[in-house]
Amino acid sequence: MVKSPRVSDVNEDLVRKLARLLEETGLSEIEYGKDGWHMRVAKALSAPVAPAVAPPPGNDGIQVEDDPEALAENADVITSPMVGVVYNTPEPGAPPFVKVGDKVTASQTLFLIEAMKVFNPVEAPRDGIVVRIMVSNGTPVEFDEPLLVIE
Amino acid sequence: MFEKVLIANRGEIALRIHRACREMGIGTVAVHSTADADAMHVRLADESVCIGPPPAQQSYMNIPAILTAAAISNADAIHPGYGFLSENANFATMVEEHGFTFIGPTPEHIRIMGNKVAAKKAALDAGIPVVKGSDGSVDSEELALEVAKEIGYPVIVKASAGGGGRGMKVANSPEELRKGFKTAKSEALAVFGNGELYIERFLSHPRHIEVQILADLHGNVVHLGERDCSLQRRHQKLVEEAPSPALNDKERDEIGTIARNAMVSLGYRSVGTLEFLYQDDEFNFIEMNTRLQVEHPVTEMICGMDLVREMVRVSAGAPLGYSQDEIHFSGHAIECRITAENPTTFLPSPGRVVDYHAPGGLGVRVDSALYSGYVVPPHYDSMIAKLIVHGSTRNECLMRLRRALGEYVIGGLDTTIALHQRLVTEPAFVNGDYDIHWLERFVDEESTD
Repeated sequence: MVKSPRVSDVNEDLVRKLARLLEETGLSEIEYGKDGWHMRVAKALSAPVAPAVAPPPGNDGIQVEDDPEALAENADVITSPMVGVVYNTPEPGAPPFVKVGDKVTASQTLFLIEAMKVFNPVEAPRDGIVVRIMVSNGTPVEFDEPLLVIE
Repeated sequence: MFEKVLIANRGEIALRIHRACREMGIGTVAVHSTADADAMHVRLADESVCIGPPPAQQSYMNIPAILTAAAISNADAIHPGYGFLSENANFATMVEEHGFTFIGPTPEHIRIMGNKVAAKKAALDAGIPVVKGSDGSVDSEELALEVAKEIGYPVIVKASAGGGGRGMKVANSPEELRKGFKTAKSEALAVFGNGELYIERFLSHPRHIEVQILADLHGNVVHLGERDCSLQRRHQKLVEEAPSPALNDKERDEIGTIARNAMVSLGYRSVGTLEFLYQDDEFNFIEMNTRLQVEHPVTEMICGMDLVREMVRVSAGAPLGYSQDEIHFSGHAIECRITAENPTTFLPSPGRVVDYHAPGGLGVRVDSALYSGYVVPPHYDSMIAKLIVHGSTRNECLMRLRRALGEYVIGGLDTTIALHQRLVTEPAFVNGDYDIHWLERFVDEESTD
């Protein structure tokens, strides 16, 4: 988000108000002015509906954009290490590796990703509880696509 | 014809390929790194697949990721663009083994031309004039001295696996050759992991002239004239023009015919470029690029052809459908490569494009993936735009180029637009009187002013 007030002392309340309006109305920019000054609040058109601040390191810069609920403090998003097809079972018909609510331990297999006819396991980075699974069996995934959340 | 083409590249060339496919009614799949999620080729393509993190080795050069992306998106063919995997014979082989069409030459031709010694031999066998030099690689200093005596000084020592000016040494005497040979060998080993060297006569003031060829799968070959790419800095081309101010129609026809016949005898397919050093009315083959080139638009402008479209068409098995007699050259075209670099210090300048205004009007073409608000990532090549201008004469073209450069606004970054503006008023450039060393001298003089 770019703000460019032309006043020496920045009116923070006004910026906040305009920024809130921007979000509410879904507009990409608002320009407001009076008495020889004006203020423009704009969203970069290329940015997804996402925060302007850089996401904290630690979760590899992943933003779960279609997620209305905020992640818990101790949540980790597991993302796909490669482009491929994701499988949640060790073989067709077998029960899934993990379900929501399952306890997992570090290095436990969560998914298999098939790339070039090779199945690559995606392992849990630490102990935790599966709180969300974002992909379904047999669907293509991109590099860095969120797969699952553990807490 | 293909239904869907995967574009294994980024930036302006990915956009260029997308445009050709779209006009042919072919669907496109963009692949991209996480740094390019907002890139124009990704936004315009029918589908996109993120294939890896910013480093090119793990994304745009990641063969398994690209082949997997092609499989999950059901693409029929893969266009490699230029750079990255475009001249990787192993990639071309794997693309075909996985049932996709590689939009380019055969892996075998890529392999031959990728090795300078093999390429020179193939060129000689196909009747292409080559620069006098060693017959294959030179393994010892003694042999080097012997060869140099035969072909005459000055000579240049080059790495067989080399490119981009590394592993090269010029020698004016046997003493210099002894020293240069050792340095070149260790440099070649360090940079390319291969210490094989060869020796050529060194041309002191040549022009870089290259011939564009196009071939289908049925043995039909045409040449599309030449490009003069003598304006280079550190072996990187900055400005290219077609036709070359140094050639007349007869010379053009002669070298074109030689190139065409050579490609017929090689059984070459798709596009390719034969690069020559031209000095004292003689052509000396240096290498062949088995891919689409950055500067292909200048050829398109004087031939009135879409080279990417032709590449896609012939890869799908379509015959050329025209002969050499039907290729006509019209007017003059110049391309300026604009990079995100300081125009005097050449320091890279990635960052956000705050304002963007591209020039327009008759005969003006901009091939660029820039847009207002786009962030030029620091991970890749600094070329951000190509300005290509066509005019009915070279003079008209130069006037138009000056006008177009003056209109071009790329705000927020340092760009080389200012350098190009100074270049196009230089008498040597205006008169077409330059060789491959001219630009380096021009830049050096400027920076010491």
